[in-house]
Amino acid sequence: MPRWISDEGGEEAALLAALGISSVEELFTDVPKKARIGRMGVGPGHEEPEVVREIDKILDRNRPLSKFAAFVGGRFQSRYVPAAVDAILSRSEFYTSYTPYQPEASQGMLRALFEFQSLWVELTGLDVANASLYDGATAAGEGLLFARRLHEGHRFLVPASLPWEERSVLENYASGPGLTVESIPYDERTGCLDLDFVRTAVRSGDVFGVLADVPNGFGHLDEGLVELKPILGDVPLVVSADPLSLTVLEAPGRYGADVVVGEGQGFGIAPSFGGPALGLFACRKEHVRMAPGRIAGATLDSEGRRAYALTLQTREQHIRRSRATSNICTNESLMALAFVVYASVVGPRGLAALQSSLAEKARTLASALGSVPGLQAPRFEAPYLCDFTVELRSGTARAFLDRLRRRKVLGGVPLADPRPGRSSGPERILVSATPTIGEKEIQKYAAAARAALSGGGAS
Amino acid sequence: MSFRQARWDEPSIWDLAPSDPGPVPEVPGVPERLRRKEGLRWPELSELEVVRHYTRLSQMNFGIDTSPYALGSCTMKYNPKVSEQLARRPGAADLHPYQPVETVQGALEVVWRLERILAKVTGLPEVSLQPAAGAHGEYAALLMVRAYFRDRGELAQRTEVLLPDTAHGTNPASASMAGFTTREIPSKDGCVDLAALRAAVSDRTACFMLTNPNTAGLFESEILEIAATVHGAGGMLYYDGANLNAILGITHPGRMGFDVAHLNLHKTFATPHGGGGPGAGVLAAGETLAPYLPVPRVVKRGRAFSLDYDRPKSIGKIRAGYGSFGLDLRAYAFAITHGEEGLKHVSRRAVLNSNYLGSRMGRYLPRPFRPLVKHEFLLSGAPLKEKGVRTLDLAKRLLDEGVHAPTIYFPSLVEESLMFELPETESKRELDRYYAAFERAVTDTPEHLHAAPRNLAVSRIDEVRAAREPLLSWKDLRAASAKVETP
Repeated sequence: MPRWISDEGGEEAALLAALGISSVEELFTDVPKKARIGRMGVGPGHEEPEVVREIDKILDRNRPLSKFAAFVGGRFQSRYVPAAVDAILSRSEFYTSYTPYQPEASQGMLRALFEFQSLWVELTGLDVANASLYDGATAAGEGLLFARRLHEGHRFLVPASLPWEERSVLENYASGPGLTVESIPYDERTGCLDLDFVRTAVRSGDVFGVLADVPNGFGHLDEGLVELKPILGDVPLVVSADPLSLTVLEAPGRYGADVVVGEGQGFGIAPSFGGPALGLFACRKEHVRMAPGRIAGATLDSEGRRAYALTLQTREQHIRRSRATSNICTNESLMALAFVVYASVVGPRGLAALQSSLAEKARTLASALGSVPGLQAPRFEAPYLCDFTVELRSGTARAFLDRLRRRKVLGGVPLADPRPGRSSGPERILVSATPTIGEKEIQKYAAAARAALSGGGAS
Repeated sequence: MSFRQARWDEPSIWDLAPSDPGPVPEVPGVPERLRRKEGLRWPELSELEVVRHYTRLSQMNFGIDTSPYALGSCTMKYNPKVSEQLARRPGAADLHPYQPVETVQGALEVVWRLERILAKVTGLPEVSLQPAAGAHGEYAALLMVRAYFRDRGELAQRTEVLLPDTAHGTNPASASMAGFTTREIPSKDGCVDLAALRAAVSDRTACFMLTNPNTAGLFESEILEIAATVHGAGGMLYYDGANLNAILGITHPGRMGFDVAHLNLHKTFATPHGGGGPGAGVLAAGETLAPYLPVPRVVKRGRAFSLDYDRPKSIGKIRAGYGSFGLDLRAYAFAITHGEEGLKHVSRRAVLNSNYLGSRMGRYLPRPFRPLVKHEFLLSGAPLKEKGVRTLDLAKRLLDEGVHAPTIYFPSLVEESLMFELPETESKRELDRYYAAFERAVTDTPEHLHAAPRNLAVSRIDEVRAAREPLLSWKDLRAASAKVETP
């Protein structure tokens, strides 16, 4: 038995004796015989050193990002996390606690969540943030349902360039209440939203919300964002924003966003193959009673001192049940803590400087790749920060990336929906400037791309 | 035992240094119209100041490592330290979800192996680790049920999800998000009233959602009849795995007749709950619903692992990426440490602990239903009302002993309910200490109970005020203090 279950001095026998029974089996007489099982077939247990060896052996079959010149990014990021962030996350008072149902015993986490909410409010220019959702995609899903509570209608408009995973998640969130998700076409030259399409759709009615992302699914910045809200009028605008970009880009609340969601993994959280992640959500104060998820609020204790508690809980599933604003119970509190500790350790100037240096690298990268025959890089003319889209003139993105991989380059993320029959468009790749790349890696990518595309095509 | 929590008069982080929004640097590529006009308002602090601030905050927080955490239905067991180390290995942490599959064979193997183990634990053949939490798993399962009935042409008719009145709040909330109406089945002696269920099922029934053992800590002994009733009406049976910790190796959802289940790795499989999350809400499905599981599925061909997207009936994605891999790895370490016998022992000991503590505490407060319980048990604080004391007071008084309170006021079918769960990793000595703390608390004077807590960083918190005058961020605090300062 693992030593995590104590039987010191035969304590199990003492527990049984106290109950006046001779076997634990007597505690399972309420499970009918016909429902009982024999062996599960799980295999034997192991001692801790064996477990460590076994798992290390499996993990050795991974080739982490550090083994490559890596240009994979998008919604998930590999950025250096200062050791101080993990030191705080490793405080077991934080990581072994539960949702702060007893606020007096949980002031530490509640205050950290309040600080996290405050930071997302400052970044977005909105009034209220919740204490986190699962990830960026599900936060967008909650944004869709939230928009529907603010406005009548059945149609939710999203950029056609939205990453396929987010589109699929949104379609699932829309399906319950019988809503539809529709694409806003983009300009083939710039990759930016067709605002006339939005105008016409909104005028024809039945649109209850519009989502726009910054940077968009192609990695580009769409100036049309600032024109959206006047077109929408009282139709809610949901903006999905990269948090780092908001250190240098206008706060979406300032150009009319009613909701700002996002993926917070890039702030102090290891990519860990995509999870745990961090869903971000902010809205206007007048709509807070329709918001999903936990919210930490400031109040007073019985001696009149500042204290914090989860609040506005009548919105939530444990009180409102089938009429709750969301089913969310467990969220990503520890990741929210990582977010605020990371931002505080790096500081506002450090964050903006990081964004700035990534943008510089992306320009060098774009010009290096732009000179590779067979690649259109960047594919779109709109400005960009650290990601942009590359299009292959021939061959498949997958084959191209495979060839790069053999030369120790992870060249980016294919944009196509991998489900059979879902994608027939041009072969495009989202390429990202990441903190670990320098001039050397950029030249390595360009050389590998040249080699991959020369001699008999890439497919 | 006497207990004092740290009481730091720690300012908020923005009060540690001035935070005048500085100028926004010129960043190449940012068009003027999208440029941030005013820098981020947040303090510039030294690393040590930040570390001290959050270390002080951590000292004003209970965790499993500081205190027995008796929250019922939360299964707050020891989070093994070795798992924390393993999850931080570069081979686990430094992996991007969109790396080529050839470079993440180890990660896919962990997922694949854990899925196989969980298939055996649940008796349901197909498993997906994609959901981010228990409620997310419920929701995904109901979307699968929806897709199944759409395929059968019965969606317009099967609009109703049934659940017992003891169900976790997430169940009805998930059902309604997935587009179903909900209907509660009353309990009888703490369990599903089978006659009421029989009367309620119909060709409108899409699904019956049940946790077994239920939230009263009782095993639903009529489970096979329940399954036959739901299936007889053409409905699906859903297993809420929040209480799986009681039945490992004894029974499983497959044998009980469930069609689909979610499990909480952050409960039964000991991944840390992080003050509210992250969680991991595994989905397991029988043959009928398996084709509807989210994509991609991890498959093994020869020795190679890959991601399979070719599942035409799949509901698609329910989150980005494949799940909370960092937690999956911890859960895998937990599972292979225990193995078959160890996992069985987990449930036996959890149930033993619960019955032991329940029988002792029953001397002071009534146990509402039959005494044989599983991993958790209920008490009713109703008799305390005679001396003007409520369950809430007792919970706060327990905190003063340095132990975490039980879940309170849930399930609502018991007046002034308290729901205790102290899982298998609590030794008999810890149980006896918890009991001693409970005894001191429940026999204390009403004055002391009303005044609790007195030993924590703050005294009793005014939660009504928090909701009535919401102050939800620094921005709100600034506005409130500006109001006060304006003559």
